[in-house]
Amino acid sequence: MNARLSGGLIDRSKPLSFTFNGRTLQGFEGDTLASALMANGIRLVARSFKYHRPRGIFSAGSEEPNALVTLGTGARAEPNTRATMIRLPEGLVARSQNHAGPLGFDLWSVNDLAAPFFAAGFYYKTFMWPRAFWEKLYEPAIRNAAGLGRLSMQPDPDSYDKGFLHCDLLVIGGGAAGLAAALTAGRSGAEVVLADEDFRLGGRLLAESDPLDAATAADWVAKAEAELRALPNVRVMPRTTVFGVYDHGVYGAVEEVSDLPGAPLRQTLWRITAKRAVMATGATERHIPFRDNDRPGILLAGAMRAYANRWAVTPGAGKVAIFTNNDDGHRTALDLQAKGVNLLGVIDSRAGATPFGDYPIFAGGRVTGTSGRKGLRAIRLSWNGREEELSCSALGVSGGWNPNVQLASHHRGRPKWDESRLAFLSHGGPEGLLPAGAAAGEGSTAQALASGQAAARAALEQLGTPAADTPLPQGEDRQIRTEAFWHVPGKGRAWVDFQNDVTVKDIKLAHQENMRSVEHLKRWTTLGMATDQGKTSNVTALAVMAELTGRSIPETGTTIFRPPYTPVSLAVLGGGDTGKDFRPTRLTPTHHWAKAQGAVFTEVGQWMRAQYYPQPGETHWRQSADREAMAVRSAVGLCDVTTLGKVDVQGPDAAEFLNRIYCNMMGTVKVGKARYGLMLREDGFAYDDGTCARMGEEHFVVTTTTANAGLVLRNMEFARQCLWPELDVTLISTTDAWAQIAVAGPRSRELLSRVVDDFDLSTEAFPFMGCAELTVCNGCPARLFRISFSGELAYELAVPARYGHALMQRLMEKGADLGVTPYGTEALSILRIEKGHAAGAELNGQTTAQMMGLGRMVSVKKDSIGAVMSRREGLAQDGRRLVGLQAVDPQQAIPAGAHLLATGAAQTMANDQGWVTSACYSPHVGGHIALGYLEQGEARMGETLVAANPLQDQQIPVRIVPAHFVDPEGDRLRD
Amino acid sequence: MTDLTPMGALGTAGPAAARHGALTLTEDCAITLLSLALRDETSALADLPLPGPGAYARSGDLAAFWTGPGQWMVESRDAAAARAAIAALPGARMTEQSDGWVVIRICSEAGAPPLRALTEKLVNLPAETLAPGRATRCQLHHLNCLVTRPAETELCVMTLRSAALSLWHALEATARRLPAAAAT
Repeated sequence: MNARLSGGLIDRSKPLSFTFNGRTLQGFEGDTLASALMANGIRLVARSFKYHRPRGIFSAGSEEPNALVTLGTGARAEPNTRATMIRLPEGLVARSQNHAGPLGFDLWSVNDLAAPFFAAGFYYKTFMWPRAFWEKLYEPAIRNAAGLGRLSMQPDPDSYDKGFLHCDLLVIGGGAAGLAAALTAGRSGAEVVLADEDFRLGGRLLAESDPLDAATAADWVAKAEAELRALPNVRVMPRTTVFGVYDHGVYGAVEEVSDLPGAPLRQTLWRITAKRAVMATGATERHIPFRDNDRPGILLAGAMRAYANRWAVTPGAGKVAIFTNNDDGHRTALDLQAKGVNLLGVIDSRAGATPFGDYPIFAGGRVTGTSGRKGLRAIRLSWNGREEELSCSALGVSGGWNPNVQLASHHRGRPKWDESRLAFLSHGGPEGLLPAGAAAGEGSTAQALASGQAAARAALEQLGTPAADTPLPQGEDRQIRTEAFWHVPGKGRAWVDFQNDVTVKDIKLAHQENMRSVEHLKRWTTLGMATDQGKTSNVTALAVMAELTGRSIPETGTTIFRPPYTPVSLAVLGGGDTGKDFRPTRLTPTHHWAKAQGAVFTEVGQWMRAQYYPQPGETHWRQSADREAMAVRSAVGLCDVTTLGKVDVQGPDAAEFLNRIYCNMMGTVKVGKARYGLMLREDGFAYDDGTCARMGEEHFVVTTTTANAGLVLRNMEFARQCLWPELDVTLISTTDAWAQIAVAGPRSRELLSRVVDDFDLSTEAFPFMGCAELTVCNGCPARLFRISFSGELAYELAVPARYGHALMQRLMEKGADLGVTPYGTEALSILRIEKGHAAGAELNGQTTAQMMGLGRMVSVKKDSIGAVMSRREGLAQDGRRLVGLQAVDPQQAIPAGAHLLATGAAQTMANDQGWVTSACYSPHVGGHIALGYLEQGEARMGETLVAANPLQDQQIPVRIVPAHFVDPEGDRLRD
Repeated sequence: MTDLTPMGALGTAGPAAARHGALTLTEDCAITLLSLALRDETSALADLPLPGPGAYARSGDLAAFWTGPGQWMVESRDAAAARAAIAALPGARMTEQSDGWVVIRICSEAGAPPLRALTEKLVNLPAETLAPGRATRCQLHHLNCLVTRPAETELCVMTLRSAALSLWHALEATARRLPAAAAT
């Protein structure tokens, strides 16, 4: 460690080991990776994005454009991490990135030699021809050469979560302004959240040498933090970056919970709802572009000061120079000198500038170039009409400060240029976001403290909370004089945007190419579009462009920012849940039983449903499904149909309510009976169907399709609350309360008779479409519905959900001698297609009751939702009807979705006559069958058409038949 | 009494339970839930004053929270008594809901702070919404939930019975991570 200075906020009693590119190094607790690298004399830490130029640490904060490294190994490798923001932990493994071969001998640095060919706009002009080459050759090659770090391509093994906070005041930034705001609001009793991206509160106070009152700034910060942490109404959140401002006072923030590999929790995504917020985000120093200003060892002067004061480290082992256009650069010189750094002097672009201490000054001077292949060795100074090369190991550059107004732009607020401060200030930001401190252009410590307090007081006043007296400490109050000086003109490349390798020349070229708007400039050159969002380059680029166009900066344009303020990992945005836990799943009451039987499951919305139950010897799902379907046709099958929506409808007006909801008459259903019902949308199209059972005079149970269970309930609630509030009716979803099992097949009655308690199942006592409350299995409350989706004698038996598992077991046990067979959704689908029952594919939102052959169901004796619109011209004349389709060659599958065309007709929309909605192999028919909608379908029985699937070049001859392939008279289900 | 053996919503024979730090999560299989709807101005169920929006109230064995205008969810450990109390109200409509929901009780051994830390990670609601005596409907890990706060050290989360395992995962994973989050 050859670069350590005295003092600093590092704990020298706690050394930490880490590796960089395999080399073991040492730092101290309190270091960042950047300060530790600097302390170890490492200057070259990265290669640039496009030209693979050697790059070093440039800043001391989140604005870092250069020092991006990959942390960790294996699946935990995380690319593009800013070394300046990494709190050094023990054992950290860091690697440089974006180079072929060692960092010092990057083979891709050949790009730098070819730089004249790679200017801005090069890609757009060069890779135009031949067109096909772009995707196959050019783009892969460019992507391979460019880019920064590489992803591990393995799932992220770390753990993340999310959370929600609510507060009166969110203070963003824990520097002088933020601490003053938090103390003021905290002492006043407001609920305060104080968030800072750094692992230590204090902001720039930690980087400066000035005292606060009689104490060091660090002591005052520690005292303030201790007080804030002791207040029950204040939450202090270091290492928490507020990355975005969203609607209604919601702020997005990411908290770095742990940086240790394998920690139980790595990051938390916080959604903070704040009544007011103080934007105390500080300011970012500008640099001054000059030729070859990107060598390792050249960094922002304010960062240099931070490294010296906070981390006790200097970036150069030899002489250090400062290049500035303002007084703040001199502050760095003084602090470095006080730390014993060998100061070459201050090159101040202002003619007549005088030194602030005992050091050489080059007033009116310019840095016109640099040398040093992998790190700064010398600078070329133009001063007093002379050019000379001066040996120099580090150069601090200060071009003034840009307030960090990014968050204020997130609602399209466009910053405004302030000529007196030579900076953009926030303008028209989100409501309730109050800028303070350096972020508001109030840069001295005294100004920042006062401005932070004023912002908190303003927020408290708006919230009606009296502000407590909060005395502020005395801080420095220098007036920083800055003279506009945006770049050093001359030959060679002067870098403006380090991360995207954009130079002053590129901006000139963009201007020549007529990219006059700032937005065009950005897109043409990619300036400001890297992961740092141009924090150190945007304003400088604007100024350079203004100079080129001869306009003022405000005339040239402004810049705007979008979330996130700094990069946010997708893992934390995901909130922590991955894989099967990424979204909720719903399990049927018989799920565990089905799983034990080896069922294969399918996702139906959130539900997991048994799709089929493979048996030994079955090698294809269709074997299982055909067996299950045939078991229902010949014996008895069991299927969990709990997923169908159930709505309990009660009240004296329940019948009238349902009359208005269903297109067919429902109010006349007798107690103890159920009726098939169809619901229409307001526009007259059909949208859901099911049965409605009348359990009592004022009590109905509506069933819906699985897919529409939530939608139907929501629509019914809307109708109840908003359309007809005068109707006395109550709706409660009971979908989950009842386990419902379909018992279907000619032997279903016999099976049920073995579980019901004293209940007459004969057709006379309990006919088709009957419903009843009863008990089963010695006292279990149950509901029985004699309804059939399969066309067979069938029932649906419902018991409280907790008994569903046991009921399924009992039915299987009691029906063993009857050939009872569990069946899944595949067999369910086969059975209903064979019977010609509509399901989701036939109710796809584009079909009507008429098309389904149910036109007469739309009652004209009453009004109901969609009834009038269903009779409108255009809809009522639709001639398409639901038909059955049978493959002429029974072994030829009919593709669902295929279009129906006359044999030999060209496959054009003009010839389209309808489409296939559902298709299957029917074990009952012994061939492939389908349902579909066909023009004038009911009058075309026996005709042969083609089911065309142009995507796969299929043309299947099909014969038009009635939609009921099984028991068209319905004798079986009424038996 | 039926000879069918009931199964808990989490697929276990008995109530599922887990402990993480100061928090204990327990599936409540014994609670009876009944939806109550009243059209008139009735203000009490037996001795239980029916609570207003966002509120949870308890009296003896009966507890209730507001679920909508004129609607409440009634909780009881004595199903027959609760049903009888509802039946005694003129015009009352009752829907059996005991099997419609999975009910997870979360109890803290260290006062309210662990519960607050947990709810901060689970639901986007200000703390006062979940203060003792409060109840609310909210989204939690993409699940529609009912959350009640019967006591300072007790929080109750309910969701659709079919999503019991997803809710349990969300609650347990969050509770497990709390000590790590609190350590920062």
